[in-house]
Amino acid sequence: MNIFNKLVKNFGKANSIALLICIILLLLEFAGDRHGETEYEDFLFFPAFFGFISCIIIFRIGVALRAIFMRDEDYYDK
Amino acid sequence: MINSIPPGLVMFLGAFLVPLFPHIYRQFYMIFLVLLSAISLFSAEGSHLIIQVQDIQFLLHHSDNLSFPFAIVFHIAAFLVIIYGGHIKDWREQLAILSYAGAAIAALHAGDLFTLFLWWEATAFTSVILIFGGKTYRAFRSAIRYIVIQVGSGILLLSGAILLFQSNNEAIFKELDINSTAGLLIFIAFGIKAAFPFLNGWLQDSYPEASEAGTVALSAFTTKLAIYALARSFAGVEILIYIGALMTFFPIFFAVIENDLRRVLAFSLNNQLGFMVVAIGIGTELAINGAVAHAFAHIIYKGLLFMSMGAVLYRVGTCKASELGGLFKYMPITAVCSIVGAVSISAFPLFSGFVAKSLIMSSLGYEGLTFIYFMLLFASAGVLHHSGIKIPFFAFFAHDAGLKPKEAPINMQAAMVLSSILCILIGIFPSLFYQLLPYSTYYQPYDFSHVLSQLQLLMFAVFAFICLWHFKIYPPELNSTVLNSDWFYRVLFYKIINFFVIRLFSLWEVFSSSLIKVVNLIYVKVQTSSIQSGNSAVKVGRSTVLILFSLGFVLVCNYLLF
Repeated sequence: MNIFNKLVKNFGKANSIALLICIILLLLEFAGDRHGETEYEDFLFFPAFFGFISCIIIFRIGVALRAIFMRDEDYYDK
Repeated sequence: MINSIPPGLVMFLGAFLVPLFPHIYRQFYMIFLVLLSAISLFSAEGSHLIIQVQDIQFLLHHSDNLSFPFAIVFHIAAFLVIIYGGHIKDWREQLAILSYAGAAIAALHAGDLFTLFLWWEATAFTSVILIFGGKTYRAFRSAIRYIVIQVGSGILLLSGAILLFQSNNEAIFKELDINSTAGLLIFIAFGIKAAFPFLNGWLQDSYPEASEAGTVALSAFTTKLAIYALARSFAGVEILIYIGALMTFFPIFFAVIENDLRRVLAFSLNNQLGFMVVAIGIGTELAINGAVAHAFAHIIYKGLLFMSMGAVLYRVGTCKASELGGLFKYMPITAVCSIVGAVSISAFPLFSGFVAKSLIMSSLGYEGLTFIYFMLLFASAGVLHHSGIKIPFFAFFAHDAGLKPKEAPINMQAAMVLSSILCILIGIFPSLFYQLLPYSTYYQPYDFSHVLSQLQLLMFAVFAFICLWHFKIYPPELNSTVLNSDWFYRVLFYKIINFFVIRLFSLWEVFSSSLIKVVNLIYVKVQTSSIQSGNSAVKVGRSTVLILFSLGFVLVCNYLLF
């Protein structure tokens, strides 16, 4: 319980709950036979890994694209 | 008798009486027309109203198992938009909403391409009024661009229909051959309205400029009409799989960097259309069911998200993420409804997006399209990022922007709550929802693997965002314009034109100055020779020399060319 309190203090209540849900979802993997639409998805924790990495990649590419596609707010009005 | 009247026609024609009704009575009248139009939905499948004009047969009312689910959701959307826009006193906007919805519903029941063309253009002309309804100079300019593109799409459709009629002596709205010229023209016409890659600029340009209710209406009809048209005419066309995959993929990055939250939703709309286009490209019964289910669910949850952002815009006066935040305390119902829309579009289990998107993902898996499957899975994480998190988080949470608006008007709240209930009901009772779909195939979205995989994917994507935000890696939203494919005709086109016009003018300057020099030379020579010869009768003006020179030039050209 102390660990959770410490987590809540440092990471925030909502964030800690989200982390807890993530851990539960990982543990549920062992509660039944999870299989995906493709054979690659059958790897352990594949969807969790894919979701996390995808979000980071999207963020990184999005930030990189700012330099190319972002202009002043009145760009078209000039 | 009433069954033979095309659904939507009463809405379209009845809309012109809207100005005669005072404000509140007008809403009841509009809802009455929607209900009246819905009666015709229950007519049997087949063609019910055919008009022969010389050699052309206009199939004004044709219904089948594909048009039925679209017609149902279009009526629901019209009903919700009318409630949402209940506070609007401007009859022009109400007229536009009703006639636009009516035209879109009537288009669904077109049995031939000429009838489709008429309604196709009717949706363009009625919907543009909603963009003018934004009442800003930007909205005005955007509306002009919108109508040019929409009418252009209609002209392509008409050209294709005429070519088809010439070769087949009929232009039935059914499966078409993309390899024929007619088929290709019609495919591009549908592609413009479905916002294919590089043909999508009009969508993100115009939708966020419309009025609050106008954007909700726009998000429901035009693009989904195109999806319906693609499903009817080009189901199973392989290229659609790749076009759709690109549509799901690229808008997510633009949505991530966009600051205007209604424009983020417009990018997200584009991404969602991609899922439907992929499913149409697969073309199996399960995939077509997936496309229709996704369109059905999408109209409701996307409408809900646009409604919530419209409510924010109405109360705060802006929809820019950089200027919003902390509105949950002041607009809790709007915030909760926005979250319901966000979790629905993200396809969390028990919400409508999950039961619809699962059909498409499973059909990809069954067909062995692994690469496309992972592209769409990646796009699903993207949807969560920009629509599931960015929209509610930056508007209602993030930092406190110091705004203290009132909750949305009661009619807006009612429309949002109704939409939220529909999102949840569809998610909880998928088997009832699936009964509306074109094909009766057995599908069970709720099994251990499906639910756990989806939850892991989404929750870890959420967790990634949490980490980025908590550790202050996520950059702040900036006031900006994000370039999109409309840049080609808004900037590049004019640059090219300018380039050639400037070159043409400088060429003309060189040519005209050389001509004057030559004319002067000839004039001086003629004058000098006439003076030297003592023949004073030869008096030639400069203009005469120029005319003679021009005539000579024309004669030489004529000789050389012909």
